[in-house]
Amino acid sequence: MATLNEILKSKPKGLFYKNRLILPFQGIFLKVIVDDDIIMDFSPASKHVYITENEDYTDIYFKEYKHLKDAVSKYEAIKMVLVEKGKDIFNFDNHKKIVIYLAEKHQVKIEETEEDILFIE
Amino acid sequence: MAIILGLVTVVYYLIFLNEYHSLLHIFAEYISFIALLSSLFVASGGIFIKVDKKATPYMNVLFLLFGAVISNVIGTTGASMLLIRPYIKMNQNRIKAYHVIFFIFIVSNIGGALTPIGDPPLFIGFLRGVPFFWVLENVWFIWIPMIMLILGVFFLFDKFNDKGNDTPVQNGYTGKVEFKGFRNLGYLAVIIFSVFLDPGVFSWVPDWSPLPFGIREVIMFAVVYLSYKQADPEILRSNEFDFEPIKEVAYLFIGIFLTMVPALQLIAEEARVNRDLLNAGTFYWATGGLSSFLDNTPTYLNFLSAAMGKYTLDVNVKAHVLDFVSQDIIYLRAISVAAVFFGSMTYIGNGPNFMVKSICERAGIEMPSFFTYMIKYSIPILIPLFLIIYFLFFH
Repeated sequence: MATLNEILKSKPKGLFYKNRLILPFQGIFLKVIVDDDIIMDFSPASKHVYITENEDYTDIYFKEYKHLKDAVSKYEAIKMVLVEKGKDIFNFDNHKKIVIYLAEKHQVKIEETEEDILFIE
Repeated sequence: MAIILGLVTVVYYLIFLNEYHSLLHIFAEYISFIALLSSLFVASGGIFIKVDKKATPYMNVLFLLFGAVISNVIGTTGASMLLIRPYIKMNQNRIKAYHVIFFIFIVSNIGGALTPIGDPPLFIGFLRGVPFFWVLENVWFIWIPMIMLILGVFFLFDKFNDKGNDTPVQNGYTGKVEFKGFRNLGYLAVIIFSVFLDPGVFSWVPDWSPLPFGIREVIMFAVVYLSYKQADPEILRSNEFDFEPIKEVAYLFIGIFLTMVPALQLIAEEARVNRDLLNAGTFYWATGGLSSFLDNTPTYLNFLSAAMGKYTLDVNVKAHVLDFVSQDIIYLRAISVAAVFFGSMTYIGNGPNFMVKSICERAGIEMPSFFTYMIKYSIPILIPLFLIIYFLFFH
């Protein structure tokens, strides 16, 4: 399986269906920001998200939203900090900051954070 | 919830009191309020400022001082929206909630106490007849020590936080300052000019009453549309522009505006009855206390009305306001200072407070809750400073 770095360099696309986000990689999530909600609880009991991992993709259900389009507008992004599985989680150099833009036909664009986007870990 | 509470007040006034004048009046003030806030919000959302320098406590103090001064030129809302993003960016490796809270104190509120453009209550005073430069001439010697004191407290916080902060930055700092979106600067100028387009200021401006808006509001809403349509999508994306923060303010403040109608009428009545007992200190604390939780513009107007009542003058007559200004300065000074300064006590004390909070949360900064903001920051930091101002100038 390709590494998270390789996947991100290939400008991958994911999918979204209502409040379900499908990302074409796996990782250890540290922080997710949707709208003005800062989510840091990814335990099974989390009231914010429910995450399931499949062989080569990850499903994230945002429990507080009926539809991601209601929360994330044209110029906004869902922001995430995550670490590739197997890498040292305690090394900040391994923390990847990514932004996810909702596009047409249920697709999402996944990019590493641009310098101009404000995103505080 | 805010709208439901507002509707309860509307129903009570319309059905039980059969009184609609107060509601119409407050609705017109709400339209003016939201027109100004939304136009400044959208126009500044199309401007991108990047200060690629490492923030130090000294630099942050200078930045906040600049914000305080500029808020008198483009308003506390305009200054907050323009400067909050570069401020976060500068401090990205060490930002804490207190950075944002002091920004709210200084740039979103206290800084704007020197001109009628700075904060809406002062503008309402200007429309009623208070000379444009009256605030500058009569408040500067309070503004300077207040700003110095609060910057001093911030410096101590920031210096303490800076200790041991030698984390290297991944790409270093270029030291450059970048500015994009000059067209929207023009729109900001249009908004500031249109603020003066009032029949009370220029006789040639058409009076559209009983409509709850005038040409000023039409221009401001046109700026909302045009500045958004013509903005560079790259800038909007960099600023992660979204209408949600201004929508939140619009919903919240419609509730505040409507529910404060009976509260302010009660205060005005009490002030009239007890006018001989009222002194500058009473006006300072009463205006401040209410400006912390209600909108400061009608609070200012009601206490101005009560203060003028002591001289049997009417706030609705421009000549009376001028007469009042020449007769007694200290009441108006106390009301002006308190209305602006105390807006920083809560997230709902002034429009930009909530917008700044929302922008910061979207950037990933955890902000304190409504009560934590008060208990941890505004009460222990601001109340002692407001007490100093009280003992120095209004005791």
